[in-house]
Amino acid sequence: MLGSVPTTPKSLETYRPIIGDERTEEIRALGARLRGARVLHVNATAFGGGVAEILGTMVPLMNDIGLDADWQVIKGADEFFQVTKAMHNSLQGMYIDWTPAMREIWTNYNSLNADLFDERYDFVVIHDPQPAAILTFLEERGERHGKWVWRCHIDLTDAQVQVWDLLRPHVARYDAAIFTLPSYVKDDLEGPAIYSVPPAIDPLSPKNADLPRATVDSILERYGVDPKRPMITQISRFDPWKDPLGVIDCYRAVKDQIPDLQLVMIASMASDDPEGWDWYERTVRRAGEDWDIHVLSNLNGVGNIEVNAFQRAARVVVQKSLREGFGLVVSEALWKGRPVVGGNVGGIPLQIVDGETGFLVNTLEECVEKVLLLLNEPARADRMGAAGVEYVRDRFLTTRYLRDYLNIFCQLAGQHDESLPLSPMQRVLR
Amino acid sequence: MYGTLAISHRALDDLAEIAGRDTVDELRSLARPIEGLRILNLSVTGFGTGTAELLNSSVAFMNDLGLDAHWQVVRASSEIAQIQREMYQGLGGLPVEWTQGKTDAWLRDARMNARLLTETFDVVIVHDPQPLAIRSFVPPSDTRWVMHSHIDLSSAIDAVWMRLREHVEKYDLAIFPSLSFCRPDITIPKRVVPPAIDPTSARNMPLPPDLIENVLRQYGIDPARPIVCQVSPCDAASDLVGVVDAWWRVRETRPGVQLVFVLTTEAADAAGRASYDEIARLCHDEADAFVVSGNEIGNVEVNVFQTAASVVVQKGLRKGFGLWVSDALWKRRPCVVGPAPGLLEQVIDGETGLVAHSSEELASAITRLLEDRATAEKYGENGRRRVAERFLITRYLKDYLGILTELHRTA
Repeated sequence: MLGSVPTTPKSLETYRPIIGDERTEEIRALGARLRGARVLHVNATAFGGGVAEILGTMVPLMNDIGLDADWQVIKGADEFFQVTKAMHNSLQGMYIDWTPAMREIWTNYNSLNADLFDERYDFVVIHDPQPAAILTFLEERGERHGKWVWRCHIDLTDAQVQVWDLLRPHVARYDAAIFTLPSYVKDDLEGPAIYSVPPAIDPLSPKNADLPRATVDSILERYGVDPKRPMITQISRFDPWKDPLGVIDCYRAVKDQIPDLQLVMIASMASDDPEGWDWYERTVRRAGEDWDIHVLSNLNGVGNIEVNAFQRAARVVVQKSLREGFGLVVSEALWKGRPVVGGNVGGIPLQIVDGETGFLVNTLEECVEKVLLLLNEPARADRMGAAGVEYVRDRFLTTRYLRDYLNIFCQLAGQHDESLPLSPMQRVLR
Repeated sequence: MYGTLAISHRALDDLAEIAGRDTVDELRSLARPIEGLRILNLSVTGFGTGTAELLNSSVAFMNDLGLDAHWQVVRASSEIAQIQREMYQGLGGLPVEWTQGKTDAWLRDARMNARLLTETFDVVIVHDPQPLAIRSFVPPSDTRWVMHSHIDLSSAIDAVWMRLREHVEKYDLAIFPSLSFCRPDITIPKRVVPPAIDPTSARNMPLPPDLIENVLRQYGIDPARPIVCQVSPCDAASDLVGVVDAWWRVRETRPGVQLVFVLTTEAADAAGRASYDEIARLCHDEADAFVVSGNEIGNVEVNVFQTAASVVVQKGLRKGFGLWVSDALWKRRPCVVGPAPGLLEQVIDGETGLVAHSSEELASAITRLLEDRATAEKYGENGRRRVAERFLITRYLKDYLGILTELHRTA
């Protein structure tokens, strides 16, 4: 057996007050069709990252509505995880010197993990490329059982050809492949049924659940931020594509008009990411000795509840990306009733309705203009924030994501019919 | 110039309510004679370690006291970072294979980093031993050099320590968190400065009870039943499996007790990963065991879990001080700890908590504190007092001001 990850039980009923009776019952109906189905999610890590966060909610909810779901992580030594990290980067467009030795390490560990795969499931969902070849080895041994789904969370648009060519024949064996956005799908992927399903946020998690205003204020104070003065925030990795320097430039231009303004930048960093370090440092240097700029990081204990508080307290949330994966942090902010000014890239336009839940911007000047506009018209900012909550409620909550999975399972099992409508976000691509 | 870090702006006056106006005034008057003193704190990393946390608050407060304190991090290639990790392990007493090649690379790196010291400082404080050799490659000047080792060097392996020793001897002063962390073969002047917590941080601020209950429920934990909690990195020394074992024993007589592991850092090595796998397996079908982990577990969450715990445990420790225990004591939580030197300075057996040498002892200590709430409360109160007296950031600043004044006077 692979390493099973303990999850906290969750109940669909706790979401009913948020999503309403109709949505709740739709999910129950799907759950009833799939009652007792054994589901296994497999990924590379139980610790941190968006995938682990989603599985921590998805798996217990599947269990709550009658499926028998488990989450396991693959095993490997350092060499394997070094190779999969390189693989992950190269699939996202970074050039990696991909050697035959790396290929062998990746294949060998997948074979080894296939050896550990000793139970039968109705649905196996393999997340991301790291464990993608397990199916191949099981199939070669005549041990393929159930329906196999490859859930790709990364943007393959600029994938290094060599690495994608290695991965593709393994993915081709799956029954279905799910991508985050239609544009992520590779044209030359043939075999599986292809879906696009965007990710979602959990409204009941510590990062998104309601916080009393007094708590929000006192958290701000602990980090030296004045709750009585206007504040804008961006929460993101520090890399060129999130444009942290541009955020500071934007803040400076706005501050010329609104001298009280504060900026909180929260870097989500990985301890082993030298590039993130370089950008962190460049950002700190650009901030200089302006004490109204607060550069914080998850590695210094700024966690879910802090992020929650800073998003709630911000007058405007900025996501000034120049390139973006899905950018789920936009939905997090919208869900807290805050308007978002975001770069017009990746998944951001899917979440921001321009002029209604925030603004899409293409340049620094536009960003400055829209942030200024929202700061100068707080009532309008609040109205847009309220519209954002409703927009996210229907489209980007974890319950919608759950429903999409259940629908896909039903389709793969041939149990799908007209009585099971798709969610507003799921697309059957081919 | 070295790598820069963001330092928050903090006002010492915020501490007056907790530490007392007198204490804050005393710090201000101690700082006056050395106002404007230029201090460089140099460390290996700005993140995710107790040292980084301590620097984060102490440097900010020193600036508020009128000193000109800076904090920078040394540059290291990934090859050097790996060598530094091994050096750190060796200094902590773990067997590592140390070669001449590693010494050479380490010295080359120190020489390179010495050239990055382009500004003038009155005092340079090198935190952690890995960048120590920089001092040996800096041209003579009036700058005073201080080594502040945050780890226990007493059981360092010779192969590594002998490479370091000659460089240590060139320093003006060495600071240790505890006398027991020191070595007799260090002949330069030594001072003991235990680490300290910032009572005004998000980790230690008082939280409203309904927030605590909500967050516990978000993690599936029942706020109405007792919680035994360990906050620790995911490493072998924290003995997560031993804690599960103790919890099983506790449940024989107290079936409703819940176990919460808050893992603050990801496993950094194979042994750490193995212990994660093991507790994941052991806890998988246990509805009352919770493993809370992730890069996004922050100060407020740690605060919630510690505040909500009936008993806080720290079964073991790698070669550090284990200051999370003081965070818990500050919250008036009774603590049960393993016999690591840093932990024993915080938890006095039978006074601010209990000391356990095995899983059996840990289990009976937990059971005792769950059953005898009066004793548990007394330990909690004593613990709070002990932290107030010994482990608050104000005391740390006072110690440092003393050392800096001494260095300034003898300059």
